[in-house]
Amino acid sequence: MNAYGLLWGLLLALLSTAAQAQNDTPPQSGIWIPNPGADLWKAVRQRGQPEPSTTQVQGLDSNQLINVAGEKFRDWRRERFIRYAAYLLAGVPVVILLFHMLHGAMKLEPSGRKLLRFDLYDRVAHWLLATVFLFLAFTGLLLLFGRFVIVPWLGLDAFSPIASASKEGHNLFGPLFLVALLWVFLRFVARNLPAWRDIVWLLKGGGAFGGKHPSAGFFNGGEKLWFWSLAVFGLLLSLSGLLLDFPSYAPSRELLVLALVVHGAAAVILVAFSFGHIYMGTAGVEGTLEGMRDGTVDANWARQHHDQWYAEMVREGRLEALSEAQENRAETTTGQLEEGRT
Amino acid sequence: MARLKFYCDAERCIECNGCITACKNENDVPWGVNRRRVVTIKDGEQGERSLSVACMHCSDAPCAAVCPVDCFYTTEDGLVLHDKDICIGCGYCFYACPFGAPQFPQDGAFASRGKMDKCTFCAGGPEENGSSAEYKKYGRNRLAEGKLPLCAEMCATKALLAGDANVLADIYRERVIYRASSSLRRGVDLQKQNLGGNPGAGS
Amino acid sequence: MKLTKVSDRVEGTRTEVVGTPASSGVSRREFLRNSGLMGTTAALGGLVAPGMMRRAEAASDAPAKGEVKQVKTICTHCSVGCGVIAEVRNGVWEGQEPAFDHPFNRGAHCAKGAAVREHGHGERRLKYPTKLVDGKWKRISWDQAISEIGDKLLKIREESSPDSVYWLGSAKHNNEQAYLFRKLAAMWGTNNVDHQARICHSTTVAGVANTWGYGAMTNSYNDIHNSKSILLIGSNPAEAHPVALQHILKAKEENNAPIVVIDPRFTRTAAHADHFLQIRPGTDVPIIWGMLWHIFKNNWQDDEFIRQRVYGMDEIKAEVAKWTPDEVERVTGVPEARVRAAAKVMADHRPGTFIWCMGGTQHTIGNNNTRAYCVFQLALGNMGVSGGGANIFRGHDNVQGATDLGVLANTLPGYYGLKPGSWAHWARVWDLDLDWIKGRFDSGSYAKKGDKNIPVMNTKGIPVSRWIDGVLEDKDKVAQKDNIRAMIFWGHAPNSQTRGPEMKKAMEKLDLMVVVDPYPTVSAVMHDRSDGVYLLPACTQFETYGSVTASNRSFQWRDKVIDPLFESLPDHTIMYKLAKKLGIEKELCKHIKVNGDEPLIEDITREFNRGMWTIGYTGQSPERLKLQQANWGTFDFTSLAAEGGPCDGEYYGLPWPCWGTPEMKHPGTPNLYDGSKPVAKGGLTFRARFGVERNGVNLLAEGFYSKGSEIKDGYPEFTDKMLKKLGWWKDLTPEEQKAAEGRNWKTDLSGGIQRVAIKHGCAPFGNAKARAVVWTFPDPVPIHREPLYTSRRDLVSKYPTYEDRKSFWRLPTRYASIQAKDYANDFPIILTSGRLVEYEGGGDETRSNPWLAELQQHMFAEIHPRDANNAGVRDKDDIWVETPEGKIRVKAMVTRRVKPGVAFLPFHFGGVFEGRDLRSKYPEGADPYILGEAANTAMTYGYDSVTQMQETKCSLCRIQKA
Repeated sequence: MNAYGLLWGLLLALLSTAAQAQNDTPPQSGIWIPNPGADLWKAVRQRGQPEPSTTQVQGLDSNQLINVAGEKFRDWRRERFIRYAAYLLAGVPVVILLFHMLHGAMKLEPSGRKLLRFDLYDRVAHWLLATVFLFLAFTGLLLLFGRFVIVPWLGLDAFSPIASASKEGHNLFGPLFLVALLWVFLRFVARNLPAWRDIVWLLKGGGAFGGKHPSAGFFNGGEKLWFWSLAVFGLLLSLSGLLLDFPSYAPSRELLVLALVVHGAAAVILVAFSFGHIYMGTAGVEGTLEGMRDGTVDANWARQHHDQWYAEMVREGRLEALSEAQENRAETTTGQLEEGRT
Repeated sequence: MARLKFYCDAERCIECNGCITACKNENDVPWGVNRRRVVTIKDGEQGERSLSVACMHCSDAPCAAVCPVDCFYTTEDGLVLHDKDICIGCGYCFYACPFGAPQFPQDGAFASRGKMDKCTFCAGGPEENGSSAEYKKYGRNRLAEGKLPLCAEMCATKALLAGDANVLADIYRERVIYRASSSLRRGVDLQKQNLGGNPGAGS
Repeated sequence: MKLTKVSDRVEGTRTEVVGTPASSGVSRREFLRNSGLMGTTAALGGLVAPGMMRRAEAASDAPAKGEVKQVKTICTHCSVGCGVIAEVRNGVWEGQEPAFDHPFNRGAHCAKGAAVREHGHGERRLKYPTKLVDGKWKRISWDQAISEIGDKLLKIREESSPDSVYWLGSAKHNNEQAYLFRKLAAMWGTNNVDHQARICHSTTVAGVANTWGYGAMTNSYNDIHNSKSILLIGSNPAEAHPVALQHILKAKEENNAPIVVIDPRFTRTAAHADHFLQIRPGTDVPIIWGMLWHIFKNNWQDDEFIRQRVYGMDEIKAEVAKWTPDEVERVTGVPEARVRAAAKVMADHRPGTFIWCMGGTQHTIGNNNTRAYCVFQLALGNMGVSGGGANIFRGHDNVQGATDLGVLANTLPGYYGLKPGSWAHWARVWDLDLDWIKGRFDSGSYAKKGDKNIPVMNTKGIPVSRWIDGVLEDKDKVAQKDNIRAMIFWGHAPNSQTRGPEMKKAMEKLDLMVVVDPYPTVSAVMHDRSDGVYLLPACTQFETYGSVTASNRSFQWRDKVIDPLFESLPDHTIMYKLAKKLGIEKELCKHIKVNGDEPLIEDITREFNRGMWTIGYTGQSPERLKLQQANWGTFDFTSLAAEGGPCDGEYYGLPWPCWGTPEMKHPGTPNLYDGSKPVAKGGLTFRARFGVERNGVNLLAEGFYSKGSEIKDGYPEFTDKMLKKLGWWKDLTPEEQKAAEGRNWKTDLSGGIQRVAIKHGCAPFGNAKARAVVWTFPDPVPIHREPLYTSRRDLVSKYPTYEDRKSFWRLPTRYASIQAKDYANDFPIILTSGRLVEYEGGGDETRSNPWLAELQQHMFAEIHPRDANNAGVRDKDDIWVETPEGKIRVKAMVTRRVKPGVAFLPFHFGGVFEGRDLRSKYPEGADPYILGEAANTAMTYGYDSVTQMQETKCSLCRIQKA
């Protein structure tokens, strides 16, 4: 089983607990209302608030006596989200590590011939998104786990400015994520359209079973899964994030809570996914990183992981040895096939 | 150990909003931040009742549970207070609070939140009792002066009470007993027999 | 560690103690135990905290130095008269503490009272004298302002007459300022002086005084504790007098007192009622007669009380007989079962109190309404008993005092009227030559009695409700030498008066407008003048001191909290400055010490003490009031009597009548007409005010007398002759005999006649019957008349309004000519108005207080969902409310609080006129936080047939989406 398969399993587990959290009635133990025999409070809590209800205080949901979503939110955050996110985000690297120790890196025997894989725009878009993503993930995780990890270590007074900076930074650069995401999406979507062979690829676990690499185009099934996960969860993340960034425009508190749940779940899923992506792009598969770093990949790497694309490139005669300075897209060099460069 | 609580008697509350302005007055709370509010249900209809709501100082406070920076603390009188030096203004406590107590001043660009502000039961914050730093951040520390929250002390009809939970319970029980006998004798039933239906509908 | 007070730290769902207990913890728990005990014993309407405690020593790092001084003062917002404890340090109003020992409020406050400390900030105040020059506000000095205004006034006096200057006083003045203002107008030589009482309870004062003697609340807020039932009509104390609800709910809970609310709206008070009768606006007389119909039919009335103490009940019975349940339902809309249940509950639970406010008074038949209420109480024998009474809640903090002190167009201080004898009395009190005063007035005559010309000083002036007509009406139709040419708005909100568009015209026609107020008020912006407007900053009552009369006739002494802010001055200082410019300051302050330009408040109190014999404003000296102020806590919460202490036996505030001189130490009269106590201890009878006999029927009480009275039957008012006849003349000291010769209880400046009458257990004003029939009024028996703008054309022929009048309070007044036209098709919805708890009056002060303004940010109209749907209007939509005389743009509040076909407007907003925002017209930095359309811009014509009270409760409108 490869990393992607494992990620899927964990993802499903997480989703099911999240769903369960939505259905649970919250425990009532938490709040003691100092109100012996207050029928009104009871009625409001148990049967919902009678309408029309009003208040002279302007504010979000200020005319609601009881915020029913509040207890659910607390339960979700404290009892489920933080716990399972911790399991997931600690578990995935462990699984990857185990996988790496058992399986080892996928070796590459360099052919010396280069193939243009990502042009400059591709790479800038990718790294922009990656940077923003890592920043947001880092600050977000600080806010999520800081109270349990940093505070016992540094104390409240030291953590507060870190958290505050994280919150401000997270809020400030959050919208940039959407911009980067849209750029990446537009840039890569054409190459990520699903095909039949991607299903086969996924079913075969990307070659983790049976040793032989399944057939793949420019992007293989795993990469496409990552792309679409990124697109879907990234969009959810961005939209919920935008709402949370401007809470004063939100129509209701419950929507904000929902946004927070969606934001948290999507974020943790993407972060977990990204571990796999980062592993595959670096230590997991030799020769992958240079594609996103330099734009070119070794021909053997292409043949090994993306046989169809390689075949296509060969057919179109685009296999060439590119000088490092030459970073323009392949049109200019079409047909200038060079063989035998050592 | 005393547990300090608020209690609002819906049979007495007339939505005069005195508790709100008393709070503003005592704690110099800015426009847009309301540590206390009065909610009226069935507004303008028979059965209209109002309740004054602020932080209820929960025994197991949801705000404290969800706070990412752990800025809340519980005093030995059972008050849930917070430290504005720690607070980062994330708003989670507002989402979790059953009573809508946490408030956020608009602060800076993009309508972002300032540090959370909420009812302190007129007990200030972590700063030294009665210090000007405490007053600036949290308002008056009446408890340290041997007084109860001003909202309750000024309530027009003594609907809003504040103090030891056991004492409040006694006061409330006494009122309930009075009312039970009272409503029978006052002939509310007579109205129901004679008139039926909803008197609020007028003719 | 920084978190000094942390003891428990909530960690997940577990609680673990990680800190050390705070050192203050023990004492705090001790405190709570104490408060707990007190809380339990005083559970109902009682305390929850142990009274005042000294503020703890300020912490070492607190920068504020200097001692905190506690100042006792009285809330300036309504007539309940709640005590306020202000904490002042270095002249800065730092805190406000609940006055737990105050006899009226026990520390309680409504939104307004809990926010009075904001007066110490006054950010939106008018900060210095300002003048309108070419449409721009220009700062000027006090000297320049007084000098220019004075010159212009003298010029108008020269060209027209003193009557062309209108002196519009205020219920926000303290007693001393109100008195000085009335005196100033008299010295200036006009009766064109009036204040807000005209438009709030003038019909009450007229109706009630003409029924049983005095035009005031008969009992007190606290006395409601003794009520066994409570009826409120046209009154919404939950919003207008919230602290009164403390007393009402106490009676409800402790006495099982049912609450009956009669109102066109389901008010916040109605929400706490047991019986709610939702009448059509303007049908007060029918609903009261409808209840009396059941009372008389079932013989629930108190026949013995009526026999002894009421005149004319038979004529009432004849009128009531016409109001069968069917007719009542046809006119009011309330079905028989409800009316009968309410009548029965009032009959079964006696004594019951009867509370009314402006919902009853502000009608063309306001005086009929108030008299019908009185008759109801007389029929049930609820008058003159603790727990009963006509508990008329007045409006402003000192509207009772300003009324008593005669800031009115029809009387001198103390309801002496304007007769030659009245002037002679006050000339003696003032120690002035009567001819000099006479010479100050216009030498002509505006009215005739038979063939005789009535001098101007004996002619009623123009009431404040009609000043616009005094300006706009043709010169030859106004019964004075010339139109009004200058208005002095001395603490008045013009938006509290109806007919906005015409008021704007009137303001623009004036030669001179002077606004003396802490705020610019709507007077500063409503018109499109470009000059001739002066704004003079007066300070609030927290920046000066003096006495104030609460609704229950109690005097309270207010201490000064802070010095006047900015360049503002106390009203009496401004009056003196102006008098000096007008050359009448010597007469104005003949026996009043003046420090710089500030007349000494205590001397003013003493001066009116020497003259106000009619209503017993004579026994309350500054010294007695200050002693009571220092001993708030010694007065009982229910009886208002001091038990022990330096004021032992006195009632709180020496509620008038506090007979005789201060030396006589009368304790005040807590409940009017209560015969169960000797007069010397606060007992009283009905006043013998209307003669001793009418049509052969005795008007004096029969077989009834107050406890300890030596005359065991009714008797007329006391005069020197009567004392001689009774053989009591010798009880007067020789000095008193000299002063009393040829005088009566009202004019004997020595107080001897009053002293001797009381010594013999008698009420100085006699012992008579109340009259259910006021034969001097247009409708002797209160009858129903449809409003001028009525939606019920089918009722007009049976219940028509009055004929138009040519000269009524100097002005032509329209009735039938308006009612003749059918507006109901074009304007199908009844329009009524009322109050909000956050604001007061015209609202300039309260809308400038951010703590209050935040709670009411939009002017709105309450409309029923049915009317909203018919007009295609949703909640919070902008709508036009249009009446036959004006239109306003407001937000819709769709609610079932009003019935279908009725719309309600709160009247506190201003600063928007017919959709136009006037914010830019305010002097810089003096615009209130919240502006809104004034309800009265749309409110229509209509004036009471006796007092010229404006009609604000029934008009017609249509509603359209804006």
